[in-house]
Amino acid sequence: MPKYPARTYEDIEKNKIDFSTIRAKLKLKQFEAKENLSSRHPHVLKYLKKKGIDLEKIREHSARILGAGALTGTLLLAPPTGVKSLPSPSEIVDSIKSLKDKKISDAPQKLMVDLMALTLPERPRLLTTEEEKSLEQLFDKLIGVKAKASLEGEHLNINYGYIGAEQHLRRYPGDTIINHKPFLEEGMAPGLGAWGLFAQSKNGLDDNLIETEKWYAVVQTLYLPDWSKRQPYLREWYKYRKVLIVNTKNGNAVVAAIADSGPAAWTGKHFGGSPEVMEYLGGPRYKKGAVVLFFVDDPDNKVPLGPVEYNEINLPEIALVNI
Amino acid sequence: MSKIFYDCLIEFGVVEAEIKKATTTPEEREELWKIVDDTIHHKVLAFLLDKLPIQNHSEFLEKFEKAPHDENLFEYLNEKIGENVEELLRQELGNLAYELLGEIKKGSSKAK
Repeated sequence: MPKYPARTYEDIEKNKIDFSTIRAKLKLKQFEAKENLSSRHPHVLKYLKKKGIDLEKIREHSARILGAGALTGTLLLAPPTGVKSLPSPSEIVDSIKSLKDKKISDAPQKLMVDLMALTLPERPRLLTTEEEKSLEQLFDKLIGVKAKASLEGEHLNINYGYIGAEQHLRRYPGDTIINHKPFLEEGMAPGLGAWGLFAQSKNGLDDNLIETEKWYAVVQTLYLPDWSKRQPYLREWYKYRKVLIVNTKNGNAVVAAIADSGPAAWTGKHFGGSPEVMEYLGGPRYKKGAVVLFFVDDPDNKVPLGPVEYNEINLPEIALVNI
Repeated sequence: MSKIFYDCLIEFGVVEAEIKKATTTPEEREELWKIVDDTIHHKVLAFLLDKLPIQNHSEFLEKFEKAPHDENLFEYLNEKIGENVEELLRQELGNLAYELLGEIKKGSSKAK
């Protein structure tokens, strides 16, 4: 049968992977793994059951333990690796003030990188409250953005982790990749973001929503221990919530809006960034890297989405003018 | 934070990419993510317990239950098993990723 150029929808159907077939295949693998464990080590599931733990919900169990540890200021049984003597908030301010006398090479961004290296552990992990407070000071004084690890009682499971490159999100029915210039390489996500379409039609897409998709972030809301219990409140709270993302290696900072949930826990990544976010954080080849991600405290909605060029910000603490 | 001590060894980005292609809603995507997650936990536990001497099983499970995030569990396992468990587990997880990817690809070729 001849293939008509106009019938491109036939290719789409042919290439579409069937959800229910894949679900059945993966379910079978899951069943095999469960059977294997219970037949070889029946005492394991018995033990976990006695303790009230379902292996399927081990992540929730872990989140509860770590959450309790964070509340009491301790990380239960696991002393954090790479803990350093943190610079106190006053030391941070002193370091910033000393910038006045330094050269261009010691611009705020370089200082940020140096101070983050002092504050952060070697590998991403749950930060202590003390570490979070030091970073909040840094972001406020150096970047000029009030950002919090915990805002209105909400706290992410992790705020120092690896960010990975995401695709563009479809904003309205019929939206295509060509409308997302100039960053076309990552393509368009096959499915919708966790909050669905940004607008119901092209006409409904305003500048604000265009910016939201352009500068969007992905966080693991699905693993929050109380995500399913506190609906619909949490869903609304996280929708387009502004976050400050800072690349810990070069100090590049961007304000983004949360517009999708993920990535899966088994990807080695903790956050995602739109093509624009990733380009700004690390350049065209940047696909994964360590970042700090805090909520922006912006009750009056005055902080714009996008890059924060803080080397040129005139901060009162350091009276810098276009250094 | 939700973390399991072996998370640092899992990089199934390629599986995630295929799942994204197969799903149209966030609910579908998260359902498949959870199935994969659950499969990983069962596979890993079976693999570790196969290697660990039976007399250490209870002690390990107790430690795992109290601190599933604790990467020091690798030290315990290395000592009791007498091998580089991280490396062995990395290989096992690589095999699992390959298997899962194969299943997804099979599913997708049937759908064509």
